[in-house]
Amino acid sequence: MKGWIPFICALSLLAGCAKDIPSPRDPGVEAKREVSIDPDTAEVLQRINAVDAYDVPELELKAEIDYARTSDDVVPFGAEEPYRKHFLEQMEYTGPGRAIPEPAQLETVKIGFIGPIEATVSVATGGRSHEEDLGVKMLQGSKLAIEHANARGGYLKRGIPFELVVKNDNGLWGASGNEIVDMAYEDEVWAILGTIDGANSHIAIRVALKAELLMINTGDTDPTFTETNIPWVARCIGDDRQQGYLLVDYMIRKLGYQRIGIIRSSNRYGRFGVREIVDSARRLGHPIALEMAYALGRDDYTLQLERLKAANVEAIVHWGDARESAVILNQMRSMGMQQPYFASDRTISDEFVELAGDNAEGVISASSWNPNRDDAQLEAFRRAFRERFDEEPETYAAHAYDGMNMLIWAVQVAGLNRAKIRDVLAHRKQPWPGVTGDIPLSATLDDMGEVFLARFEKGDWNYLSREDLQISSGDIPVGSASGGDTASSIVE
Amino acid sequence: MARIAKNALPVMLLVLLGSSVSAEPLPYVYTRWKQFTVADGLPNDHIFAVKAAGPHVWVGTENGLARIDKRTGEIETWREADGLPWKVVSAIDVNRKTGEVWIGLFGGGLARYSGGRFDHFTQLNSGLVNDVVYGVAVENDNVWVATTAGASRFNTLTGEWSIYTEKNAPMEEIWNYAATYNDGRVYLGVWGSGVLEFDVEKERWKVYLDPDGEMEIDLYRDDGLVHVITTGVSYVDDILWVGSYFGGSRYDGRHWRGYFNQDSGLPSDFINFVEGRSADEAWYCTDKGVGVVTDFATNTWVIYTRVPGTDSGQAVVMRDREVLKTVPMGLNIPHNYVLAADVDGNDVWIGTSKGLAWGIGEDYYAGIGGSASKASRTAATAEAGK
Repeated sequence: MKGWIPFICALSLLAGCAKDIPSPRDPGVEAKREVSIDPDTAEVLQRINAVDAYDVPELELKAEIDYARTSDDVVPFGAEEPYRKHFLEQMEYTGPGRAIPEPAQLETVKIGFIGPIEATVSVATGGRSHEEDLGVKMLQGSKLAIEHANARGGYLKRGIPFELVVKNDNGLWGASGNEIVDMAYEDEVWAILGTIDGANSHIAIRVALKAELLMINTGDTDPTFTETNIPWVARCIGDDRQQGYLLVDYMIRKLGYQRIGIIRSSNRYGRFGVREIVDSARRLGHPIALEMAYALGRDDYTLQLERLKAANVEAIVHWGDARESAVILNQMRSMGMQQPYFASDRTISDEFVELAGDNAEGVISASSWNPNRDDAQLEAFRRAFRERFDEEPETYAAHAYDGMNMLIWAVQVAGLNRAKIRDVLAHRKQPWPGVTGDIPLSATLDDMGEVFLARFEKGDWNYLSREDLQISSGDIPVGSASGGDTASSIVE
Repeated sequence: MARIAKNALPVMLLVLLGSSVSAEPLPYVYTRWKQFTVADGLPNDHIFAVKAAGPHVWVGTENGLARIDKRTGEIETWREADGLPWKVVSAIDVNRKTGEVWIGLFGGGLARYSGGRFDHFTQLNSGLVNDVVYGVAVENDNVWVATTAGASRFNTLTGEWSIYTEKNAPMEEIWNYAATYNDGRVYLGVWGSGVLEFDVEKERWKVYLDPDGEMEIDLYRDDGLVHVITTGVSYVDDILWVGSYFGGSRYDGRHWRGYFNQDSGLPSDFINFVEGRSADEAWYCTDKGVGVVTDFATNTWVIYTRVPGTDSGQAVVMRDREVLKTVPMGLNIPHNYVLAADVDGNDVWIGTSKGLAWGIGEDYYAGIGGSASKASRTAATAEAGK
């Protein structure tokens, strides 16, 4: 999808006010002001505006041959043709919501935000909360997108500003559900962005389904998030399935490792994050030698590491937060374990680098994007983020900025109707040109954009694509992808 | 004060013509339907729950509670201003012994309506595990509540609450979606954790999952639940009927049977709710109409839909995927996005996202036995009405 240049036609479908919306490629307030509607979206708009409450518009459904670009040799029960395959065709919304008229009196256009922004103890997240740092970044990215939209005129059809309704999802006993209900029925938001924790995300999307409210996720990489057949859910961050596939392709197909060990957090992030790695490794004939889980909040991982050491593994994969990743790595090295260290994308953080010190050198993490790429839009976003928050944007901020811009675009195009907002985003054919890269949505409305491996070298993360790594997607004979590489000699 | 509205006059809906004629024994087809919407006095057209109890039918909507008197057609409604603790009513069950109505509130906890008064239970004033309630089931003197963060059981005699989560029940996930009770067993439909069975006498749990363990496939149709993301459960005549967003299931205690759009009369695999009538008949509420398996043994179905672009409905009789008969009729269900159903003797109630339907089954018969004569009698009755 690199280099894709959308054919954009600026249609004045929002009568008299289709002038002030920036192209998604221009995040700054100086950007060109127009509603960008490609011809396919214009067709969607025409069809959804033509139906009443009782008819379902004829919209082309996204279709795929292979779910999630899974290569044949790692599909479940590969030797057996399943009776039923799911997720190959996009889900429809068949309800009457498109006929609901825009409300007459509004002072703002409310968009919901839900994420872990306040520290607490949470059943859903397995005890003490631990994702506030990520949630605050996500909120910053969301705020910036809202502020940029308002600087360009807000909701152009009415000339009123967008308003961000902010909720915390770290509360007790599945609070995210209550918060989504409030946003749907009390705050009356038009769409929602959130969350990060997998458990809270699943709670939230069930509510969004019943309340018929679009929810876009920018920070939960749990593969099962979009494997729910809910037509009201989208995600704009590469998930752990895609990240896991790339790690497995690199570790097993390219480097030829046969004994890999896993250490992961015992929460849902760790449990589901490694699932595709475990399954793929087994299906490729090299099952994970040992998988060890740890409870959050501990500093001593001796038990897990001693067992991994005894298992004589060639490489270790960690799936958990940045702090734990650094502590585990340091303990590994102090125990004399010199195995290559692979990790999930949360390891890519200043916290990890600071805590790991010299041990960070050579660590390889999966990444849902390449923040080092040369891209004017990304640079403009970085500049704006620095000016606004006096710090560098990271993964959660950047993806939230993209996700919020996608929602804002959908609202501007569709108008104030929840079903139509869902429609224009769900049936958008062109990838969203985000600051994190192109975001093509799959049949399950999941982000099928490119994912990367990041290697920490000489104080910086170096991001490598499949092309850089000389690993194509699909079936590749194990150990023969390119040959001769080791974890410390990645092809660049 | 609750508002009382007169319902519109019943509408007799007729069988006009069968578009195809089959010599096959046919199941009963509901041809008399009556609709209820805001225009008739409902507080809202988006129906989340319906429960028939004696002469009354309780209706939960996105903005209020209603009670229809079947004898008079009167509709009484409650909104927050009338004492209803929260406007979104997502589940209803009635204690047949006491007459108490238990009301699941979507984001508002649990309410009991009795003696003209609402009692309100929330996660802050009771043992209710979460305020986002998806299902309610009366079990003897207990009330089970399926919430988004576990299940709660309230003993109405002692006031004691029990909470069931991953800590003390075989819930891999705690996202409860549905609850039902019958014949000594409580069943919970748990999103991501299949179906949980609770034996009331033995106080033991049993869990049913999709044996292949994969989200993106169902490896074999009849090896267990078709998927772990379950949305509806119904237990009747020793048969467990299950709905999911990926198809339906039937379990007789020994054998499973899966249902998909590709091999049955299911109008869609996206099932919002299921209501079993017997071991042979179940009503699957989908996003594309109601699919009724009317005779399990022969896989015979009747699919009720509103015909797009018209004010008419139709019923399609199918065996496997073969259409046996199409019955055009006046409006049957108000909308094809169907969210709730309840069997009420020979009648049925269908809740949709755009109104409620009452299917009147004066001469209902089960299965397909004696269908030729009864079908012709039905048609004759309709013709006479016309």
